[in-house]
Amino acid sequence: MSTSREFHYRLPRRSGGWRPGSHPGSSLGAGQEFVSHVSLYDRPDPRRLDLRASLREVRGDWLVRVNRQRVSVPVHVIADVSTSMSFGLPKSKLHIVADFVTALGHSAFRVGDALGMFAFDAHERPDLFVPALLSRGVGDVMASMLTNCTGAAGSGEGLEEAVLHLAGRPGLIFIASDFHWPLDRLDGVLDLLTHAYVVPLVIWDPAEMQPPKRDGLMPLRDLESGRRSTVWLRPGMRARWHEAVQRRRAELSAIFSARGIRPFYISGEFDNEALSHYFFEVTA
Amino acid sequence: MSSSIAFEHPWALALLPLALLPLLRRRRDTLAFPSLAWLPPDRVGQIIGWLWPVFAVLALASSILALAQPGRPQTQVQRTGKGAEILVLLDRSRSMDDRMLPANWREIDPANLLYHLAKGPQKAQVARELLSQFVSRRPDDRFSLMYFSNRPLGVVPFTQHDAVMQAGIAAGAIGRGLADTEVGRGLIAAIAQFDQRAYSGSRIMLLVSDGGAHLDAETMQRIRFGLARNRIALYWIYLRSYNSAKLDSTEPRWENAPEMALHRFFRTLQTPYRVYQAEDPGELSRAVADVERQQNLPLDFLEQIPRQDYSRVFLAVAAFSCAMLLLYRSMLLRSLP
Repeated sequence: MSTSREFHYRLPRRSGGWRPGSHPGSSLGAGQEFVSHVSLYDRPDPRRLDLRASLREVRGDWLVRVNRQRVSVPVHVIADVSTSMSFGLPKSKLHIVADFVTALGHSAFRVGDALGMFAFDAHERPDLFVPALLSRGVGDVMASMLTNCTGAAGSGEGLEEAVLHLAGRPGLIFIASDFHWPLDRLDGVLDLLTHAYVVPLVIWDPAEMQPPKRDGLMPLRDLESGRRSTVWLRPGMRARWHEAVQRRRAELSAIFSARGIRPFYISGEFDNEALSHYFFEVTA
Repeated sequence: MSSSIAFEHPWALALLPLALLPLLRRRRDTLAFPSLAWLPPDRVGQIIGWLWPVFAVLALASSILALAQPGRPQTQVQRTGKGAEILVLLDRSRSMDDRMLPANWREIDPANLLYHLAKGPQKAQVARELLSQFVSRRPDDRFSLMYFSNRPLGVVPFTQHDAVMQAGIAAGAIGRGLADTEVGRGLIAAIAQFDQRAYSGSRIMLLVSDGGAHLDAETMQRIRFGLARNRIALYWIYLRSYNSAKLDSTEPRWENAPEMALHRFFRTLQTPYRVYQAEDPGELSRAVADVERQQNLPLDFLEQIPRQDYSRVFLAVAAFSCAMLLLYRSMLLRSLP
């Protein structure tokens, strides 16, 4: 079952790094991607001698083909474990993150990427830290850590603290959160991650995006602050609910698209096919 | 007059702190939501969310207060009234169909008196007219009407509805007079009308008759005690016939007249007694006016105001609050999706 949840991902741009992998890299080495011909004296690798090119060479040098090596990149998940992430029926948002992490563990191992994790709620959660490991089971370990944790209220400061560890490092970073905290710090967080390829996973439960079908009174309690508020659901309120969801979506996409980032929305169930498509579209 | 509120079962008030239970906010009552900031603010919903604990507290508190049965305790109030209970005991005997003397009968030649007598108005008719005016002028009083002849005829029990009384008086004109004048039985029956009635004002028995009767000792005793027991003042309007006794005469020939005997008996009563001797319509109307004046005296009496129970009000409030809570409950959504 877990193998079927794998998804395909490639980075759309070259990354540095020497470890062979499957993402386009900037280092030279054993790869399919031809870069140039170099004199045999400069690069004494007679296995890659190109006889046709050497014959055409005016100066009569022996030319060696130089290829670009595909590299592996460290993949990190920054998971929001705030209380609001425990909301969701039949599957809580945190379980959806765990599903994603499991799939990512298999996918990353398959392509030879190291996978690590940071978690945050109001602050960084060092107990949920997993260093980048090249291990088959690391995804499952991380998933079980996520499903068994309890969080506090989420905040942009927590994300910032977690992100500081990755600042300026290349790689692939997934930020899995519902973004139910003030977005004013998000801009600064993304500034820290300019060297990495960031994929925000916006996880919203259908129950918070769609008002209930029946009209009536909803005595609501905020999971994070415990604040109470009663909402009388009626057609006008329904429209304003949809508007609020649209507005939040617009706010998020405004912040991300300013950096050429496209957020990936998850609602109800993690769809590995959709995430594969996301990467196909990005790399195409 | 005190307006203080007393409780019938004050121990129930010890339950009053229970009314604060709905203010304990339980997580069960609410639906968890990840972020309220996400939702648009709803003013109406917030008011409703604030109102339902108020209704819950109100329902509990007013139920408990209703259990304690608040009320204004029984009080006595000094009241001044003018109303009286007047029982009209009207003679219905044949002699009342006789005519009255004209007002100037003293100047008329006695030889022609019988002629004039035949032209005068009937005694009963004059009495009825005057009584009906009397009744209509005193709307505050409660009246009862009773005819008597050889036996008492109760017509109208005590009532404050003048129309009934007028109809009863008018009914006296039907047919002709009956045989006899049994004053004793009439009086006893009239006194019995006052039995079992709460004493609420001065009581008057207005006896309108044109003759008297010899009463035996036992009847006299019963009348005497009955009047005293029910505290009834007796007014006798005596419609004197042409040839009958004057009550104030001391002539020995009238010594044995039944009117005189009755008058003598009435004078021995402990209760107030007054007699009006009317010979013609003018005198009769003067007599009635006099009675009217007599009983217009203000009357001071203690009125008992029974205990007033306010628990119905509280029950109504509780029922209303419960209805509101039911409405709230019916509108409630049990789950988010």
